[in-house]
Amino acid sequence: MAVTDISQRERFFARGNVYLPHIIVIEKIIEETPGIRTFHFNFKDKKLREEFTFESGQFAQYSVFGVGEAPFCISSSPTRRDHLEFAIQRVGRVTNALHRLGVGAELGFRGPYGNSFPLDSLQGKNLVFVGGGIGLAPLRSLIWNVIDNRDKYKKIDIIYGARSPADLCFKYELDTWGKAKTVNLVTTVDRGDDIWTGRVGLVPKILEEVAPSAKNAVAIVCGPPIMIRFTFPVLEKLGFTPEQMLTTLEKRMKCGIGKCGRCNIGNVYVCRDGPVFTYAQIKNFVSSEY
Amino acid sequence: MASKKIDKKDIAKLLSLWSQQFAVFTPSQASGVATMAKWDGKDASFLDWYRNTVIPPKANFLPAMEEMFGFQKDREGYHIELLPSNERKQLIFGVRPCDAKALAILDMTFKEAYEDPYYLPKRSSAVLVGLGCTNPYDSCFCTSLGISPAQSTDVDLMLTDIGDEFLIEEVTDKGKELIAKATEVKKASKEEEAKAKEVKEAARQKVTRKIDTEGIGDRLLACFDDEDYWEKIAAKCISCGICTLLCPTCYCFDINDELVRQQGARFRSWDSCAFPLYTKMPMENPRLEKWRRVRQKVCHKFKFYPMNFGVIACTGCGRCIRLCPVNWDITQTLESVPVKV
Amino acid sequence: MEQRLRHEAKALLEQGKVDWIIGFEPGSLKFTTTPLITNDKNDADRLVINPFIVNNLANFLTEVKGRVGIVAKGCDSRSIVSLIQDNKVLRESVVILGVPCLGIIDLSKIERLVTKDRNELDDIIREGDKVVIRVDGEKKEFPTTQALFDNCLACEFPTPQEYDILLGEPKPAAPNLAQSRENIEKLEGMSPGERWDFWKNELNRCIRCYACRNVCPACFCQRCFVEETEPQWVLPVPRWQDNLIFQIVRNIHVAGRCTDCGECQRVCPVNIPLRSLAREMYDLVDELFHFKAGMDKDARSLMTHYEEKEAEEFFR
Repeated sequence: MAVTDISQRERFFARGNVYLPHIIVIEKIIEETPGIRTFHFNFKDKKLREEFTFESGQFAQYSVFGVGEAPFCISSSPTRRDHLEFAIQRVGRVTNALHRLGVGAELGFRGPYGNSFPLDSLQGKNLVFVGGGIGLAPLRSLIWNVIDNRDKYKKIDIIYGARSPADLCFKYELDTWGKAKTVNLVTTVDRGDDIWTGRVGLVPKILEEVAPSAKNAVAIVCGPPIMIRFTFPVLEKLGFTPEQMLTTLEKRMKCGIGKCGRCNIGNVYVCRDGPVFTYAQIKNFVSSEY
Repeated sequence: MASKKIDKKDIAKLLSLWSQQFAVFTPSQASGVATMAKWDGKDASFLDWYRNTVIPPKANFLPAMEEMFGFQKDREGYHIELLPSNERKQLIFGVRPCDAKALAILDMTFKEAYEDPYYLPKRSSAVLVGLGCTNPYDSCFCTSLGISPAQSTDVDLMLTDIGDEFLIEEVTDKGKELIAKATEVKKASKEEEAKAKEVKEAARQKVTRKIDTEGIGDRLLACFDDEDYWEKIAAKCISCGICTLLCPTCYCFDINDELVRQQGARFRSWDSCAFPLYTKMPMENPRLEKWRRVRQKVCHKFKFYPMNFGVIACTGCGRCIRLCPVNWDITQTLESVPVKV
Repeated sequence: MEQRLRHEAKALLEQGKVDWIIGFEPGSLKFTTTPLITNDKNDADRLVINPFIVNNLANFLTEVKGRVGIVAKGCDSRSIVSLIQDNKVLRESVVILGVPCLGIIDLSKIERLVTKDRNELDDIIREGDKVVIRVDGEKKEFPTTQALFDNCLACEFPTPQEYDILLGEPKPAAPNLAQSRENIEKLEGMSPGERWDFWKNELNRCIRCYACRNVCPACFCQRCFVEETEPQWVLPVPRWQDNLIFQIVRNIHVAGRCTDCGECQRVCPVNIPLRSLAREMYDLVDELFHFKAGMDKDARSLMTHYEEKEAEEFFR
């Protein structure tokens, strides 16, 4: 695969060293679900605060100094730059340490890395966002990006689901999007509770029920790997070609820049050639280990 | 280009001369393990026993453990400090052609896209003095990968053993500079150059282990999804890291932090795709099964790396075969890959 | 013995008594053997028994699924019994093909004796209590005590105690503890400070390849303590401090399971004298608990149970 052009990103190297993190400060913490938190943050350095740019879909390596580093997508949109955001689920050493931090804590930030959603090829199209659980985080960056440039895109459908009502992330956004006339939001849960009045069913099943048209459309899917694997066949059934399906892949990462060797699928490095891929590209992967 | 030569007994003098400018590394056998260590300043007696080191020269540029930066915590937050690099330029004496080519292969990864700020400065300031093989192991198979055990590429100076003397080829300007002021270095005669050619050819003939690398990448792709085949191949592997950590073209690394009270550092250290937790994610591990990891190792070297960089990431040094606890042999595996029908 | 082994292994597979045979076949280098794990009865003809069958094949029992016919020397069969004691392997699911062992030839010792690398030797043959090496047309003889692995010199149970088929005549034990414990005696003679410096120096070379751990049948944890991240007991970085903790804790974890098969020391690519630690622990376990690993398949594993009538005062 072609090497991504990283010439723009060298501007953001601390002291010319790609492994050196910048210091960021946590400004706000939102508890999305019992295991998921969103962090609002900003660079400590004023100049970087003003100059830093990124594109939807890119990720960064966040450090808790002394504990470790982990890759998460930047879940805020580049169109809303007063602060940056990332959302994480508590699953291991670094994420647990992150969840123990409070407002004002300092972290390391290396990025932006990876490729981004191809906005040019999405313009003038109907967009179908399919998200599951915390998979909404990378989609969110693109959704707000698109909403802030609404007239460039046609119909926007958002189909989002989680295991239960308590596991829905970004409930405040779901509220906003649900009320907005410019997007069509369908929320579902695998299992409802006493007060849930919305749809119940796995995301791929609900997707099949909503049956968005594949004509002039692009589907952007993000969620747990198992959800993605069941969503692609449904999209194909609805008439989407593999080139019309986008997703972001997740892998264990350390360097984030294609050197430590870890995140590869065949000759493709998810941190450098991804994390955004079309299903057509994924089908061409030499291995199914994604 | 006219070659030079030097008496074997004068090598120590040459090393002394170089020690003024460089940190000189020569083969050493401390504790019975052959490695490239700082020259003890005494003599060149390593020439008597040296065949090849256990730890490859990549350890000089991508160390087994490296501090990337330090950090301090105080009331104002964190301060990151890049550690001062007051290391001298390195000169490695006695690099075999397989290891020299391996370094050139490693360079491709560390130069590409984001330039690695730890590997590249060490590498560009270093000088390699190559030493052609006269006694390859039975595990060597460099000739199957387009390398000769006495070739002079990828080094700055190349020494060939012609009896009591070494023939010296000045391969790069850096190499020329190295011996410009060395009084022990003399001009070589035509006969001596001819003898060196003979010695080089003899060394090539001594490499008996051969594999057919023609189209190996495509042949591997063809059997990529054959789980039974790879299970058989991987059966006796014990998933340790010896083959990968000691491979001169392997470069996978791990990054870890430590913070003790207010001081800490981030380390880079060798890692291996053979380890079960190498690709582990919180909810799943794409290479949980051993056969997937063995398949990844073989295919990365002989298919994926060539796809990205145009060169097979193996130079036939044979360390993996010699040191594997269960004598898993990559040449046997490659020979068993079905030929495309 | 070899012919009998091939015959038995083939029969076991043909009669469906086992799903897999684990044994040794000739390796790809001179004087080397390599594990053969197969379910194909035709592969049985590749099985060999010679002075170079060095691996402890019990290591594969926790990985291979199904019933296994396994070739085991004295030390290996004790490792199998130790796994049975730990409930990792069922006695009914293994057919132990016992090999009474004369000791395995240590190629590094041979190389030091003749100052040549193994691929430059023409032949190495054991003749009684001598090892004959043919090199450059010459014959050199050495007593086996100079050529065998240290742990083979200390071996008290060369004939498997637990077996289904014994492939040869039982061999008497002839342990030469003094010679095999030479390194340990030297260490015991040092002051604590000297010993600390010794191990610091040795473990500086460790590159954390984990071959010592992965080759050990007693190390069967799915996730080793060094791989734990919450909490992170040791850093995965090869600093001598972390390496030292790794070795010490590993030896403690395998205490009572280690049969001194010597594999950990043999496989270390940087020659760290790991057996000095393992054997010391082995002797300590014997001294404190009167227990040797893998002797009785019905016994409980040493460190996993407590009896009210503990033998030792210090434990009551």
